[in-house]
Amino acid sequence: MLSFLLNQRRVDCLQPPGSVLLDFVREVAGLPGTKEACREGECGACTVLVGRPGRDGSIEYRACASCLLPVGDVEGCHVVTVEGLAQAGLTLVQRLIVEHSASQCGFCTPGIVLSLTGFCLTSPDFAEADALDALDGNLCRCTGYVPIRRAAHALCEALAPLDHDPATRVATLVQAGVLPEYFLSIPERIAGLEVPTDEAGEGAVLVAGGTDLFVQRPEELERTALRFLSRRRDLATLRVDEETLRVGGGVTLEDFRTSPEVRAHFPSLTTDLLLHSSAILRNRATLAGNLVNASPIGDASILLLALDARLVLVARDGGRREVPVDRFFKGYKQIDLACGELIAEILIPRLPPGTTLHFEKVSNRTILDIAAVNSALRLTRDEAGRIVDLRLSAGGVAPVPLLLGGLEGFIGRPADRATFAELARVVAAAVQPIDDVRGSAAYKRLLLHQLVIAHGRAVTGEVGR
Amino acid sequence: MRNTDLTLHVQGASQFVDDIPTPAGCLHAALFTSPVARGRLRALHTEAAAAAPGVVAVLTHRDVPGLNQVGHVLPDQPLFAVDEVVYVGQPLALVVADSRPAALQAARLITAEIDPLEAVLDPLEAAARGLIHGQPRTLSCGDPDGAWAQCAHVAEGTIASGPQEHFYFETQRALALPGELGTIKVVASSQSPGTFHRHVAEVLGIPQHCVELEIRRLGGAFGGKESTAVWVVAPALAAFLLKRPVKLVLGRAEDLATTGKRHGYRYRYRIGVDAEGRILVYEATFHQHAGACADISLAVLGRSLLHASGSYRIPNLRVTALSCRTNIPPNNAFRGFGVPQGTFAIEVALTRIAEVMGVPATRLKRLNLLTAGDTLPYGVTLAQPTAIRCWEELDRQVDLDRRHERVAEYNRTHADTKRGLAVVPVCFGISFAQTALNQASALVNIYVDGSVAVSTGAVEMGQGVNTKIALVAARTLGIDPARVRVDTTDTTRVPNASPTSASTGADLNGMATLRACATLVSRLQEFAARHLGRPGVGPGDISIRDGVVHVHGEPTELRWEKLVAAAQWARIDLSSHDFYATPDVYHDQTVERGRPFAYYSYGTSVTEVLLDCVRGTYAVEAVDLVHDAGRPLSETIDRGQIEGGLLQGIGWATLEQLRTGPDGRLRTTVNSYKIPDIKFGPAHVGITLLANSDNPYAVCNSKAIGEPPFIHGIGAYLALLDALRAVRQDRPFPSLPLTPERVLMALHGPAEDESTSQGR
Repeated sequence: MLSFLLNQRRVDCLQPPGSVLLDFVREVAGLPGTKEACREGECGACTVLVGRPGRDGSIEYRACASCLLPVGDVEGCHVVTVEGLAQAGLTLVQRLIVEHSASQCGFCTPGIVLSLTGFCLTSPDFAEADALDALDGNLCRCTGYVPIRRAAHALCEALAPLDHDPATRVATLVQAGVLPEYFLSIPERIAGLEVPTDEAGEGAVLVAGGTDLFVQRPEELERTALRFLSRRRDLATLRVDEETLRVGGGVTLEDFRTSPEVRAHFPSLTTDLLLHSSAILRNRATLAGNLVNASPIGDASILLLALDARLVLVARDGGRREVPVDRFFKGYKQIDLACGELIAEILIPRLPPGTTLHFEKVSNRTILDIAAVNSALRLTRDEAGRIVDLRLSAGGVAPVPLLLGGLEGFIGRPADRATFAELARVVAAAVQPIDDVRGSAAYKRLLLHQLVIAHGRAVTGEVGR
Repeated sequence: MRNTDLTLHVQGASQFVDDIPTPAGCLHAALFTSPVARGRLRALHTEAAAAAPGVVAVLTHRDVPGLNQVGHVLPDQPLFAVDEVVYVGQPLALVVADSRPAALQAARLITAEIDPLEAVLDPLEAAARGLIHGQPRTLSCGDPDGAWAQCAHVAEGTIASGPQEHFYFETQRALALPGELGTIKVVASSQSPGTFHRHVAEVLGIPQHCVELEIRRLGGAFGGKESTAVWVVAPALAAFLLKRPVKLVLGRAEDLATTGKRHGYRYRYRIGVDAEGRILVYEATFHQHAGACADISLAVLGRSLLHASGSYRIPNLRVTALSCRTNIPPNNAFRGFGVPQGTFAIEVALTRIAEVMGVPATRLKRLNLLTAGDTLPYGVTLAQPTAIRCWEELDRQVDLDRRHERVAEYNRTHADTKRGLAVVPVCFGISFAQTALNQASALVNIYVDGSVAVSTGAVEMGQGVNTKIALVAARTLGIDPARVRVDTTDTTRVPNASPTSASTGADLNGMATLRACATLVSRLQEFAARHLGRPGVGPGDISIRDGVVHVHGEPTELRWEKLVAAAQWARIDLSSHDFYATPDVYHDQTVERGRPFAYYSYGTSVTEVLLDCVRGTYAVEAVDLVHDAGRPLSETIDRGQIEGGLLQGIGWATLEQLRTGPDGRLRTTVNSYKIPDIKFGPAHVGITLLANSDNPYAVCNSKAIGEPPFIHGIGAYLALLDALRAVRQDRPFPSLPLTPERVLMALHGPAEDESTSQGR
């Protein structure tokens, strides 16, 4: 039996844990407000809020794509659909969407309502930029987004005077008419649910965010035993010591991106990882999952290669080993991970003095699109501006996320325009991209060349003129 | 007034087809479609699917009791293939099962024995082999052969524009419910109540009065639910044969892979101007990439032809248009319906001749802009075009010369980034070019409690047509719009309706509603005059305003509710049906002359982009536009149509790209087809509705607004081109869409790279 709260109701069901939440709310719970429009996390029409109990018993809400969210993974959580918002009259978010005519056909609208409500729950200071980030996975084909942006702007203005304290956020939002009152009783009701345990037999498929897994093989997963890593609190840790940022294998991209540790030690990642996917996917997808996915173009893989990260792998029997990330990728979609093994931790060395990290990605659309080519550079210079160390990675140009080797000759050279021009030539000549739906081989080779030039412009401070 | 559906939408309470509670015993259908682009169909093995768990039936062409045909204009599109397949995704069989997963799984067990034949995937190759739909059409005026001698400058070139996926959020779907005595009701997501109604009856082999087609609203359509009836007819067939409710819902991947798109075009153009830049002659050939069946392609092509001269005065013109029959899914209607393509070609030609002359394209556009007394190539002389008024109002607001100077100054001082600017005027003919479709009817019922229900043939798809109709009714009846409910679109209330398309939904159905309401008002005036019994007060002295009967403009005690209740008791008919046919429209294709449009929609926009020359990426930063919307029934709705149409046009011009593999299979999937998102849209969109514009040709002086704003999106292509030309002018213009890939290759790629200049 699987128990969770759906809006105001307690649900106890016998659904397969691998069936997706979207189907449950529409077909079983009879709540048709949540829409299906792509089933791949690409459009946001099926966005719901998932409130998961945190360590202190408070509920942490995140907007998620319910089409890729296994029901088993919301056990013990509070799921909010559009039907769970309006009680007596519209909520503030709903009212502003109406006032600004930020909806035409209406099919994407419930998802937009939920994403904006999620923004109200998670934004530290109700900044408009956060509202747009929160909506970056909610497509709309009718409005051209102009009225949606106006509604978001009005929302931020309305929220600005409110108390920003995250500890009392739910109460603040209830008071402001963003959330219905029953949200106040949710922590208590969640505490009354069975605590899900991390138990699954041999052969259970490990599910982290599931945002790619449930695109690739949803039917198979519905019939498979699953083990949800979101239940492993020990994997949700993030801490930094003198030398290393240690990221638990269950940390989501959004929690990673917005963590104080990343903001302090790798500030550029906060914006770089916005390019990884959309908010409703970043709220589920994990940094480790992006590595295990083994896509030759994974943004996290490319970044972690340049950052010289190491992976702590833990086997089912508790055996641990460490693998440098550049040896983790063995071939196309092949990784050094045994059956039952998982990435428990990602160890990212802090940047030594004089070191810069820079990430480049070009995709057809900037947000929520797979790169044609992406590349990361970690560059250490001495005081004279000469290259002391460089690690350069590139995706989309080989069967694996590639750490470019053979660049020792650049050590000791000045990090200037001429050096980067030559680096670009060397690197572009060294790769063998293929024609595919992301672009022609000729384009990808040229693009990698250009991205190395762009790295140079960025790290040498020559902003494009 | 805002769209009345908004409050429902934000609560997720608006009901789309798949939100209707599934009826007891409902079955679910899934299509099995051709895996081969072209071939002889020798056998279809459905036994394993029929025996699969949960499967109730597998239907093929053999099960069709009536006509196995859903061709929209020409009878060239079988519902289920019989002995040949002509595109990947062509329906071969329908699996009906007790659940959708069961139907989908069983469909995978079907195998087709097909002898593959050579498929043609390139429109030019198709034309060279004589594979075209219908006949080529040529529009000409003046003396195009003789005019070249007078030209001071001539430019020519070839270019392409790509296809575009509608990406309506609600995919194709319908729910069919069998009734008594062999009747059937279909609740569908469709823009074409009249035509789809006919197709259902024809396929089932029953009279149309046994079929009811009902439409509440669509989760977007943009033309994609206008002409291909397969997804409405197929579940109806199953429900009719099995006597059970049947639902068919396409998954996104299936919808993307098997439904039609906006047509890609290939263009060849040649333009000549005098020394000052006045256009003397324009010649072009349009090759339309139509796909395997004619569908609605010939109508789209005709509209491209009629808009070949764009917003310009062209005294000598010859444009030939061909609809090329290739082995891809039949393309269909998409917002703009051929006008974006026709306009794109002349805009490119003018931009090119300006470059040849070394003058700004904006100057040539202004010089040649349509004005009163100009005659369009098909013989219509314009009385009061507002093209120049829109242009001048925009110029007054943004100072186009100054904007150009600022861009030029930026480009002089920047190498890694460049700005680009383009002005695009819009001239868009309003009416169905197919004259017969310019008709609509409305049924208005007043109930004894004073509430009013209106039924028309218009389909609500987010564009706000129902709100506009409610406004027309309320205004005409003199009551609060809240008293009016626009009912579903239903063939039992409004028969033979034209599709809601060509931007005419509110024009035609609004006018029919106005007439029906006017009839009711005159009945009520007559009754009120008797009922009030004031000496000397006749029907002409009575009016209804704000829900109160007025005499000589002064309010009486008699309120609307009392009036209608009393009228009903006095045996006055409170129901009225009326009809509207747009007057004075006609077109003779044999001579390509006529007056196909009741009026024209005009506008002008200026688009500015910032190009990153290192990465090939760009931002469409700002669009300012002035559009003539007449006297809008709802300014909020009309602005929404402009904002939405504009971004769809920008998407077509930039990001939205579809690739078909050599096997005729669409390689682009939902994760590689990118429509604009919230961060892609221009940070600045400034919209002005032209002031003091009257339009006697549409209801309440309003103007059609659905499609024309799409054309402004061409500005994104032209502004990017402007930025590219600031870097280099030694190559042909790249084709549309200008994806980051195409831009980077145009900037830095090898010169001979043809893949970047051919739209596929």
